[in-house]
This record gives sequence, structure tokens and C-alpha cells, in this order.
Amino acid sequence: MIFSELYSAYYNSVAEIISKLIDGERDERVLRKIVSEKAFGESATTILPSLKSGKWQLVRHDMSTILKHKPTVPLTNLQKSWLKAVSLDPRVRLFGVSLKGLDDVKPLFIPDDYYLYDKYCDGDDFEDEGYISRFRFILSAIHDGVPIKINMVNKNGKEVYAKCMPLRLEYSEKDDKFRLITDGCKYLHTINLSKIRSVGYCGESFKHIEREVRYDTVTLRIKNERNALERCMLHFAHFEKRAEKVGKNEYLLHVKFDHKDESEIVIRVLSFGPRVKAESPDSFVELIKKKLLAQREQNLR
Amino acid sequence: MSSYSELIKNFERIRAYMREFYVYGFKSRDDYNKKSARSYDDERRRMESILGDHMSFLRTPEGKNVFISIDSRTSRHNPFYKAWKSKSFTDGDVTLHFIIFDILHSPEISYSIPELMRIIDEEYLSYFDSPMMFDESTLRKKLKEYCEEGILIAEKKGKRMLYRRAEDISLSEYNDLLDFYSEIAPCGVIGSFLLDKTKPHKNAFAFKHHYITGAMDSGILAALFTAMRQKRVVTVTNHSSRSDEPRKNRIIPLRIFISTQNGKQHLIAYHPDFNCFRSFRVDYLSNVKLEDVTPRFDELRAMLDKMQGNMWGVVPNRGRRGKVHTEQVSFTIKVAENEDYIVKRLYREKRNGTVEKLDDSTYRFTAEVHETSEMIPWIRTFICRIAQMNFSNRTEENRFKADLEEMYKMYGIKEDEL
Repeated sequence: MIFSELYSAYYNSVAEIISKLIDGERDERVLRKIVSEKAFGESATTILPSLKSGKWQLVRHDMSTILKHKPTVPLTNLQKSWLKAVSLDPRVRLFGVSLKGLDDVKPLFIPDDYYLYDKYCDGDDFEDEGYISRFRFILSAIHDGVPIKINMVNKNGKEVYAKCMPLRLEYSEKDDKFRLITDGCKYLHTINLSKIRSVGYCGESFKHIEREVRYDTVTLRIKNERNALERCMLHFAHFEKRAEKVGKNEYLLHVKFDHKDESEIVIRVLSFGPRVKAESPDSFVELIKKKLLAQREQNLR
Repeated sequence: MSSYSELIKNFERIRAYMREFYVYGFKSRDDYNKKSARSYDDERRRMESILGDHMSFLRTPEGKNVFISIDSRTSRHNPFYKAWKSKSFTDGDVTLHFIIFDILHSPEISYSIPELMRIIDEEYLSYFDSPMMFDESTLRKKLKEYCEEGILIAEKKGKRMLYRRAEDISLSEYNDLLDFYSEIAPCGVIGSFLLDKTKPHKNAFAFKHHYITGAMDSGILAALFTAMRQKRVVTVTNHSSRSDEPRKNRIIPLRIFISTQNGKQHLIAYHPDFNCFRSFRVDYLSNVKLEDVTPRFDELRAMLDKMQGNMWGVVPNRGRRGKVHTEQVSFTIKVAENEDYIVKRLYREKRNGTVEKLDDSTYRFTAEVHETSEMIPWIRTFICRIAQMNFSNRTEENRFKADLEEMYKMYGIKEDEL
């Protein structure tokens, strides 16, 4: 069962607090910090008082614990079966770890039990040995915080070299691709992993380049016909957004997005047809109008 | 006096509110008329407590609107997972839990129930002025529960039943794997439970086009996966928006269809009563109950595999009595000299069908699908270059064209602007 106290933030906090007490830590500020990091906004009013008062009989009045060992719990069947399911995914090879102790475990699901039906079909080749080794190299460089040099193919098909500080690997489920997010290189902030041909360490150090992400906010007017409201809200759910009801059946949705993704957002808005109208900013509305004008010229009958 | 607690017994209570606050977020307190005002206040407070900074408020003439706003690209871990860690428990539960695992701190140590009872009383609870009293049946129930979860093992030695902790698996090498899969694998919240057991570490991953709403349906999804792995029939309650009352369905779950473009999850199942395949929104489902094993699972899944060749989205074949219903969809687009990326889009984004080059600037896409309407949003993304279309479903084609006219009007595009 997924919803179980075995996985609860309270149990995790108690385990951590008791470990600290066993180490001899009694400073209440340290214990309170554990609660604020591991549990919820109002947990401080419950967890420590319950331990101190003996409501949960694990800690004495002097804040020593009756337990003799730092608390640990083995993995549950559910956790093992999920790990087993993950071990069947082709991308697991990227991580170069063998999942041990799962031979007799039945997976929670197998790849055939689910289907990402609208994923693009030109995703990265996760089975390619070269790709796997470059992925691992970059991942280890991110952890070590060391700069790397990259040989890659640019969008014009030309081979180029770059030196940069690797920051993180960004994955898009829709594109089924990894991108490397970098620092220190003025012109290469995002690199498709599949474009990288070789990678190695580079002895140079890099100055951090401050990148200010330019955000735009588009305001959409939604007419709630043909379930457009729910479709639109779900479609844009992963952005920072705000919605308001402005009429009996009309809503305004303000969606904040990275300016670099503007063309993508334009076609996503168009995909809703006449149920969703872009109201502002004017520059965004003009892009939509331009597309519609061009469409009208096609004289589709 | 208020009986409010941050923790909850039943996840269904917050599941609906989380979705409302996150997906919609424009409703005021009065709009939540299905539940009592007190219930609304409690759930709102709970959400604030669990999601903290992600909760926002807006004052409108109708009242205060509460909503959850999260840019999932900047969030390294799905914030909704925290809600799954809010299960309530009793004082006895938490006390017993930590004491049991302290006594059984290594897999080599095993005790019977009477032995455990004595150790708990004499070596642990005796330190307190008013020690808790656990009777044998409470301990037995807890041990049974933990055996079912796989964290304890019961072994018979002679006539005695002994309990020991299960062997553990070290997660020390799995940090990266867990950071990644907890966000992209189905039921990723379980990966988050595993991450809670790891030491603090640097997370090397971020996610784009990342839909996090599915987290709230992890319990339903896990039950449906279990049914599929065991090839079982299930009964499930469907709260579809098309019907006022929830309906109970007895179905054979076959596969979960997940969208990477809106985060929706659908169950495709066979409905024996109507002898047809049906699609159910997972977020509308509750109370999944596993029933008998069905001998038909493999045969039905093979039928679905075949059907998928003509499914653009989640609508299965609607033909009755095994009859296959398909509709033909064809459209051509114009591509300028420097617009190879548009042609690439056709190949990359198509889910079935074929692309033909008619001349240097014209390409035709053709597909045979069970439901034309599912393709419309995608076809609209080519607006500005659609030169011709031919749908066997004339109603859909006419609607597409009428919608285009409405869009011209909506954006004030007049004939003379050409």
C-alpha cells in the first residue's frame, strides 16, 4: 500500500531525530531543523512535543532515547517491486549500476503495461554504447564539479568544440532526449546529448556567467465549450500560472513561460482552436494572427 | 475544540482538493459546495502545510481563491509526493514501530511474540512513569502487517513462530537512478520514498515538459498495475465528468496510456458487460478492488496491441461485435525552402500514418484512425500551411474548417487583410 505511515514524513523525522540523539546531539534547534526539513509546515507543533512529553514513548524527559540503535527499516515489497520495474527500463543502463537483491522480486509493472502514446519518435538512442559512456562521463563531471571539453555537431551539421562547466542533465519526456545545461560558455547554454561526439576533462576553470531567463506571460481567454477549460488547464498545468473566472462560462489563464519557448507556446495555443484566444501580450497575439493570415492565404475549402 | 490534524487517514480526501487547487485554482471557498466549509478550511490548511511556498492566494470579488502554482521545470522533485507522506498513525503505532525494529536490529536476531512482549515491557517501556500497554493481539497484528509489507519475516522453529527483520538492500549507489526515475517512472512516489532513505546528495537532473499531476493518482495506478501483473478483473468507481453520479465498473485492465503532452493518464480496459474496449481517465477512478484472475487477459491485450496501430490517442476501436471502425484522415501542408524542420516535425510527431512528398514544397500526411477528433489539436499546430484536407469523417472536417473561420473572426482577420 502506497499510503502508509511507513513512508511518512513523521516517521522519517523521528528516525533522524533519534539518530541525532544517539550521536549525543541535544540542541533543540538542530532537532527542530530536522522537522522543518523532513516534515510539514505545522509538524513542529507535534513531533518534538510528542517525543519530549512521552506521548510517543521513545525519548526520556532528559532527551536521551530508549533505543539502542540508529533506526533503520528494510525495503518494503512495494519499494523492491518498483525498483525491479525500473530495472526493466532500457534507460537504466545509463546509470551503470546493477540492482542487486531483486532476483526473486516481481516487478510492480513491466514496460508493456504502459504506453507513452504521444512521445516523439526521434528520441535519444539509449542503447548506444558511445552515448552511454558520454552520459556517464558528464554525470560524473557534474557531481565532481569539473569543467569538460566537448566535440559536437552543431545545427548546421558542422563539427565544433566547446569548453564548459556541466551543470545538470535536463530530460524531456515528450522529446525523449537529454540536454546538457552548462555554465561558463557564452554561446552554448543547452546542448543536446545526442549531438555530442566526444567528451573529456579540460583543465581550465570557468567564470560563472549569469543568465537571466527572460520570462513572458501570455493571457488566454478560455470559452468552456467541448471541455476546453479542463483540457487547457491540464495542458498548461506544468507552468507557473494563475486562473480567474471572468464570465459565466469564460476564464482567463495567465501562463508564465521562458521566452525561448515562445514558438512552441504559439502552436500549443493554436491547437485549442477557437475555444482559447490569446489576449496579450500584443507581440504574442500578432504571432498567432500572422499564422492565421498565412492559413487564410492557403484558401482551404 | 478543533480536531484538525496535519495528517490524514484517507488519501482520497486530499486527492480531489489537490487537483482542484493545482489544475483549476480559480474557485473560491463558496464554489466548493460539495463539501462542508469546515472540510474546505481543513483541506486548504493541510495543503498549505504540505506544499508551503507553492500555495498562492488571490483576492477576487467572489472571495479568496487558493491555488497551487509550480513551474515543474525549476522543481527538482515533484512537490505532490509530500502529500503521500502524510498518513496518520496512533501514538502506539509509532512507539511500537521504532521499538520492534530496535529489538530486531539485525536479520540474525529473531524472537517469538511472548519474548518480544517481555523485552518491550522490561527493556523499553519500563523507563516511563506511565508506560504504554500493548496486548499480544496488538503486537501480533503489527507483526503480521510488517510481514505482509516484507520488512519482517516470520519463520517457524519447532512449534514457535519467530520474527526477524528482512535483509536490506543498500541504496548507496542508486542516488542518480532514483533522482531520475522518481520523476519519470510510473508511481514515481515510491522512488521518492526510497530517496528518503538515502544520504543528502547533489541532484544532477532537471525536467522539461514535466507533468506532475499524475502523482496524485499513484495509488490507483499501483492497484491497476498489480491487477495487470496478476491478470485480474477489477471493480472500480468512475467519477466521469459526463455523469453526475459515480458508476461502478467491472473491467479487465489492459494498459495505462500516459500523455507526455498534458500529463493525463488513461486506463484502457475491456468491459465484459458491453463486450467492448473502453478508456477511463485514471484521475476519475477510485476504489480499485482486485477480483478473480481472468484467462482472457493475454488474448485481450493482444487485441489491444493490434488496435493501437489505429489509435492516435486513447480512444479504442468503437466498432461493435468485433467490427473494426476506422476513419481516414489526410491533409497536405506547404513547406518553404528553409523549412525542413516542418517536414521533420511530421515524421517526429506522427504516431501512426504515412508522410508523402508530393513535390518540393508539398507533403501529404495520411492515417487511418479509430477517432478523427483526437488528431485535430495536432493538425491545428500546422495552421498557416494547411493546403488541403480530406477526412472520411465529413463532420469533423467541416467542424475543423468552421473552427478556422471562427478563429479568423476571433482575431479580427477580415477578407481584405489578405
